[in-house]
Amino acid sequence: MSGAAEKGSTTTKTPGDFLKSIRGRPVVVKLNSGVDYRGILACLDGYMNIAMEQTEEYVNGQLKNKYGDAFIRGNNVLYISTSKRTLADGA
Amino acid sequence: MANNPSQLLPSELIDRCIGSKIWVIMKGDKELVGTLRGFDVYVNMVLEDVTEYEITAEGRRITKLDQILLNGNNIAILVPGGSPDPE
Repeated sequence: MSGAAEKGSTTTKTPGDFLKSIRGRPVVVKLNSGVDYRGILACLDGYMNIAMEQTEEYVNGQLKNKYGDAFIRGNNVLYISTSKRTLADGA
Repeated sequence: MANNPSQLLPSELIDRCIGSKIWVIMKGDKELVGTLRGFDVYVNMVLEDVTEYEITAEGRRITKLDQILLNGNNIAILVPGGSPDPE
C-alpha cells in the first residue's frame, strides 16, 4: 500500500489503524460545509460513512440540533477527530 | 526508473514526512498544520496535535485538534516541515 506501514515504527498510524482505534469513542466530525457533529461514534467504514449516537449539530460553533442516532454519508466528511479539543477564535 | 534512487515518488516524499510536522493546504480557504502519523493511497491522512486555520469574512478561526483523520478529497498542497507561520 502506501509504504506508511512498512516502516514498522510505533509512531506510524495509517487511516485504517485510526478507524479501528476510535470506534465507541467521543468524536467530532466536520463536514465540508463547515458544520460540526459531536457524539459517540457507533461505527464507520472505509468510505468514512459514519453512524453516531447522542449527536449534537454545531453551526458556527453554536448548538443547533440534537439527534439520538445519525448517519453521515462519507463523501461529506472533511475530518474525523478525537473529541478532546479546545476552541480559540482568532479575530 | 522507479529503482533510480535519485528519483523520488510523491508518495515516498510524504512517507519521509511521517513523524514530523506537515502543512496541509486544502481547496478553499482552509489550512492545517500537524504531525503526520500516516496516510493511505488516497492521501487520507492521520494527523496529531493539529491546528486548523479557516479563513472567513470575520477573520481567521483557529481550532486545535488532538488527532484527526483528514479526508484526502480536498487536499491541494502538502508542505513538509509545517507552516512558516509560527502561530
